[in-house]
Amino acid sequence: MKRLATVLVAGLAAVALPSAAFAHATLRHTSPALQSRVDTAPRAVVLRFDQQVGIIPHTLEVFAVDGRRVSGPPSFGGDHRVVQVKLADLVRGGYTVRWRVLSSDGHVGSGVFTFGYRTVAPPPTDAYGASGPTWADDVARWGLFVSLAVLLGSLGIRLIVLREPLPERLSQRLYIFSGLGAFAAIDVGIVAFVLRAEDALQLPFVDLMYGDLSPFANKTRFGVAFVSMTLGFALVATFVFLSWLLDMPKLLWPAFLIALGFASGLSLSGHSAVEPNSSSLSQVADFLHLSAASLWAGGLIAIVFAVWPLAPELRRGAFLGFSRLATVLVALLVVAGTYLAVLRLPAVHDLWSASYGRVLLVKLAIVCVALTWGAVHHFLVRPRLERGDSPRGLRRSLLGEASVALAVLFAAAVLVNSAPPPRPSPSPTQASPATR
Amino acid sequence: MTPRAETVHWLFATGFLLLGLFLLAEAIVGRDVWAKRRWRLYLWPSLAFGLGVLLWPVSVFFTNSTLHMIAHASWAETAMIAGGAQLGLARGKLHSRWWSITVTVSLAVSGAAFLIHEQNPWLFSRSAFLHHALGWTLIVAALLPLLQAWRPRVFAWNAGFAMVWITIAVLLYCDRDVAPIFGHLSPLAGAPR
Repeated sequence: MKRLATVLVAGLAAVALPSAAFAHATLRHTSPALQSRVDTAPRAVVLRFDQQVGIIPHTLEVFAVDGRRVSGPPSFGGDHRVVQVKLADLVRGGYTVRWRVLSSDGHVGSGVFTFGYRTVAPPPTDAYGASGPTWADDVARWGLFVSLAVLLGSLGIRLIVLREPLPERLSQRLYIFSGLGAFAAIDVGIVAFVLRAEDALQLPFVDLMYGDLSPFANKTRFGVAFVSMTLGFALVATFVFLSWLLDMPKLLWPAFLIALGFASGLSLSGHSAVEPNSSSLSQVADFLHLSAASLWAGGLIAIVFAVWPLAPELRRGAFLGFSRLATVLVALLVVAGTYLAVLRLPAVHDLWSASYGRVLLVKLAIVCVALTWGAVHHFLVRPRLERGDSPRGLRRSLLGEASVALAVLFAAAVLVNSAPPPRPSPSPTQASPATR
Repeated sequence: MTPRAETVHWLFATGFLLLGLFLLAEAIVGRDVWAKRRWRLYLWPSLAFGLGVLLWPVSVFFTNSTLHMIAHASWAETAMIAGGAQLGLARGKLHSRWWSITVTVSLAVSGAAFLIHEQNPWLFSRSAFLHHALGWTLIVAALLPLLQAWRPRVFAWNAGFAMVWITIAVLLYCDRDVAPIFGHLSPLAGAPR
């Protein structure tokens, strides 16, 4: 209690003493421009801020892709709003610009951007110094998958498996699941986006709060996907809410279709979109794979936590209907997953020699458990239910299958954040070591 | 391509002004008269919900700092939840008047977000002053929905709640990113416009 009181007092003090808070400079203009390609070697990098800034260690540094620093000491331009560094003779390649400036009241604002000299600029997430996704990114992506599963599963069960009108309590709970899923997808998406940017910015937490995210939101695939998905899921939440408010279950169809459509943002910003051998087909396959897995896991969650406890009379119908749907979903999962695995692993031995392959093997093992569990339900439990039996412990068994499905989603999250083994011919758009 | 921050603030100010005027009209004529036309009950909650939805584009298109993005997102989400709860009450889908706590939470979170996301002191510039004023107004106003839930027919609470939104609208209309406040503009703030 005392600790809580201390935290509350500290929080109130933090907002009550704004003059002790710090101003931070906002970057208004850069030369070269953010993530631009320049064909004439720039002699300097120039940053213009919206207010006067101070120069501190590492205020403005420019790095080649091999980590070589190519910039001199920073100096002010026309006034103290402009900071610049002279550059050594550049060679063809991608370059990373890192800036940290001190506002005169003490706060440090930071940012990172890239440009390419005679080549396409690497995305800021591939800036020099970025270490790639961590376990926190894996957990955040898993949270995004689970949110999507809850959203799609609760809507899918209602629209595809069950038929309106539903019992009032079941309907309410499914609405709650859909609303929570939509808002969770937005909130976890924000966390995932900030974490991804944090890796490239390489900032401690407090400085990260004042970090400039605009290069990531505007200049990266995952940033554009984040923006689109946030807006899309806000629309989904609106449709779900209106459906509840106006007693119009038909409005759940647009919510379902929009959610399904914007789930493709994950596919359009993942391996299937950026790998050298990616194609429209691989993106569609990735989208089908993710959608089928989300519907499968989310459908199980909806049955276990909504249908089973609140509508005993619908249990049998829900199980049989979902069993038919799951057959289609599993077929899609297997076909799309096999195609993607073949595409991303150039050789069979990559399965055990590359870290991506090993994660894939773990995922496949968990998928096998889930498929076996599902097969038991389909081939053993389903006929008994069709005969009118009531097998005991079925809810626990469904809960077990749902748990394994969630474990599959976690393995998928780790897999998405892992880099597939390199292919023999790298893409020219990748940042390559500098060559004259 | 994104509009100036103050332009966006003015657009939302118009929404809040309407919201405040609806609430003030309801407070003046009384709940019973106001409810004689059912659609009137939906006016301010649907406006609050709609403003919440419209705040999402602001959240994702103004990302020059992590704090700005999170602050706008928190306003968007809490406005949707609070407006949605009030719509549920108006429609009869929800029954407990204590759902007004969602409005309290929304105001408190929004006020805190204003104060936390403004890193400059009160007199740094006009927008800094207004952000502090908005933050404290919202935090103090967070008590009003609780008082309304406790004593729904007290004119002071209802009129006070309406005046809060009108005040917020006026503050937002006064907002300009880099402009002096009381004739003062910090030399750090940049050229006035």
